[in-house]
Amino acid sequence: MAAKMQHFDPPSSASSESDDTEVCLDEKEIFLADELCEDAEHYRRSDIGTPTPQSPRPPSTGSQRSPRSRRQRTTSLSQSSKKTSAESILRSKTRTIYTAGRPPWYNSAGQQVEPFVIGICGGSASGKTTVATKIIESLDVPWVTLLSMDSFYKVLNEKQHEMAARNEYNFDHPDAFDFELLKTTLQRLKEGRMVEVPIYNFVTHRRESRTKTMYGANVIIFEGILTFYNVDVLKMCDMKVFVDTDADVRLARRLRRDISQRGRDLEGVLKQYSTMVQPAFYYYIAPLMVHADIIVPRGGDNEVAIELIVQHVHTQLQLRGFKLREKLAHSYIGQPLPSSLYLLPDTPQIKGLHTFIRNKETYRDEFIFYSKRLIRLVIEYALSLLPFEDVTVETPQGVLYPGKRAATDKICGVSILRAGETMEQAVRDVCKDIRIGKILIQTNQQTGEPELYYLRLPKDIKDYKVILMDATVATGAAAIMAIRVLLDHDVAEENVLLVSLLMAESGVHSIAYAFPRVKIVTSALDPVINEKFYVLPGIGNFGDRYFGTEPSSIED
Amino acid sequence: MGSTEVTSVPKKSSESNDVADVYGSNLKILPCNNQVKELQTILRDKNTTRSDFKFYADRLIRLVIEESLNQLPFSKCVVTTPTGAKYNGLKYQKGNCGVSIVRSGEAMEQGLRDCCRSIRIGKILVESDADTHEAKVVYAKFPDDISERKVLLMYPIMSTGNTVIKAIAVLKEHNVLEENIILSNLFCTPIAAKSLVTAFPQMKILTSEIHSIAPNHFGQKYFGCSRFIVGETTNIQGKDI
Repeated sequence: MAAKMQHFDPPSSASSESDDTEVCLDEKEIFLADELCEDAEHYRRSDIGTPTPQSPRPPSTGSQRSPRSRRQRTTSLSQSSKKTSAESILRSKTRTIYTAGRPPWYNSAGQQVEPFVIGICGGSASGKTTVATKIIESLDVPWVTLLSMDSFYKVLNEKQHEMAARNEYNFDHPDAFDFELLKTTLQRLKEGRMVEVPIYNFVTHRRESRTKTMYGANVIIFEGILTFYNVDVLKMCDMKVFVDTDADVRLARRLRRDISQRGRDLEGVLKQYSTMVQPAFYYYIAPLMVHADIIVPRGGDNEVAIELIVQHVHTQLQLRGFKLREKLAHSYIGQPLPSSLYLLPDTPQIKGLHTFIRNKETYRDEFIFYSKRLIRLVIEYALSLLPFEDVTVETPQGVLYPGKRAATDKICGVSILRAGETMEQAVRDVCKDIRIGKILIQTNQQTGEPELYYLRLPKDIKDYKVILMDATVATGAAAIMAIRVLLDHDVAEENVLLVSLLMAESGVHSIAYAFPRVKIVTSALDPVINEKFYVLPGIGNFGDRYFGTEPSSIED
Repeated sequence: MGSTEVTSVPKKSSESNDVADVYGSNLKILPCNNQVKELQTILRDKNTTRSDFKFYADRLIRLVIEESLNQLPFSKCVVTTPTGAKYNGLKYQKGNCGVSIVRSGEAMEQGLRDCCRSIRIGKILVESDADTHEAKVVYAKFPDDISERKVLLMYPIMSTGNTVIKAIAVLKEHNVLEENIILSNLFCTPIAAKSLVTAFPQMKILTSEIHSIAPNHFGQKYFGCSRFIVGETTNIQGKDI
């Protein structure tokens, strides 16, 4: 069976409203989702017009950068995007829902909270997508991943391809799907990991060379005609919904869709329907109804059923718990410091440098100069914590010298935008040609939770030792999210070094508790966080001071 | 300062105690960790390329300079942070200057500049007599008021210590107090260390390693010019290939 007509792209999610910018959003979103299959495009929200919290900065991370300057495209790709239907917004009568930042997908201990998986099954054109859309809409949780079974059609060989052209290839048969790939993909999503979902091209009947990067979310919706067919896949669904729409309605919809939207002729569509679609429905799909927890008659119009589903999901999510920052700030008072914390020796120079950069009277020129010196010291110290091995070298003096060499040259930096970027130069100054990834995490001003917006990491980051940089750590919420991201990309926990100029004790405790094998390096530890999550006595907003973007009314 | 924090490399801490016993408390060794050791290894490896050599030498120099600055005086002070809280900090005192011994000491100037942007830097050129191997001062230029300043004397390699002893003599002629001199050094032989602490017991010395073999190729490799160009190479590089 051919592609769903309106299949919006996976990491769709519900979040704030605002219909006003809908038109522009539409185009932009398609481009970026469609063109870039690299990592994490999905974490990005749309380039323009989104009602993003632009101003008040997240105190702990200080990392914020407006993503709007990037990628102003003029060429239109909408043609191809229709085929692969890579769109990350949902539109309904009342509002537009688009990909927002990804909120925490782990609990306060940094551990994965298993996403809630909703499986939606039903015959062709039964309205599964509409049901999925409505669920996402009414759920109003910030991050939902939508996985469609259409992505998992097998690649056709020449002969099958010809059959497909004659409407004789059976797309409704279970054999048409690559269940193995589907299984592993869904499993990884359920573990919150990154997956590469194939993009199936219904014209060539092949997978496109690029893939779609997706991430586990609070809620994963998995829809398709045979979602309940495979036992293992069935087990992964926490809730199973069957959309039961009358055969006449389905045929009518299918005719309209295939003829008007896919340019097929009546003859062909009917032939396919009567010889394959309908038999497959009675033979394979309809029997799957017995697995369903809920059967939704009439598809998307059935608001009562959708309401029921949404309520249940809400209850489940509440049980799993996603409120982070506050919890982080108030635990661990008076505990001994964790052994994974490496505090720089408290020398007069370091103290003196701190005096400069903490003083609110310090001019930016000096602030930058002295923070750079301090950063260099922190980075040098961090490097000494990497593994080394003994070597013996020959000297020009003709004597052997027993020394040390770094045990790995696979070191990369990852900075947490924006304040973390101030540390990049120092890393480049000590490691030649080092690769540097970036992560943008911002605080949602309404919920106070960190949200992940942007991510670029070196390929094969799993093989690297990662120096994760953020200038200051208050609650640790952003750092925990960043570490979680790294782990989701298969970086080993012990290979992560979190490096920072200043940390609050509570943040250190939270991070160390969540990720005991992550080495935490800082040049100073402050005891308190205030109610705005600023470290005390602290540095202020490091990023603002470094980049000169303090709000003008900072006086007090 | 230095010896308090050697947590990551326990084996070294015992060594620095020994150092205090042998050379007195005014000689300090840069807290050694694997990272520092790696830098030293690269600098000593004869297969290191020049570009790498300079890159890693600059890193080690920066660390030594940062640690040397810890020997400078400071006073307590309290500042207000942007959050309105008070921070008990330290303030560096003014009245310092650097003095580099030409040529290889000049390799350390940039490291000092990177830490103290506008610090005054004097220079001394010491050459050794081709026949007698006796070091003599050819050139010296200092800030006028050097006698009132703390002096950070920079010289990366000491095998006999003769050059440095001569340079300090010049500083003393300019009325610099011995206790106001801090000698920044990368590699030092036990002989040089011993003769320096004996000759100038009040001077502070900071080095990254005491080892019986001095990497005498330093100046040559760092600057990429062989001997006979400028003095000090002939002085201590006698045995070098």
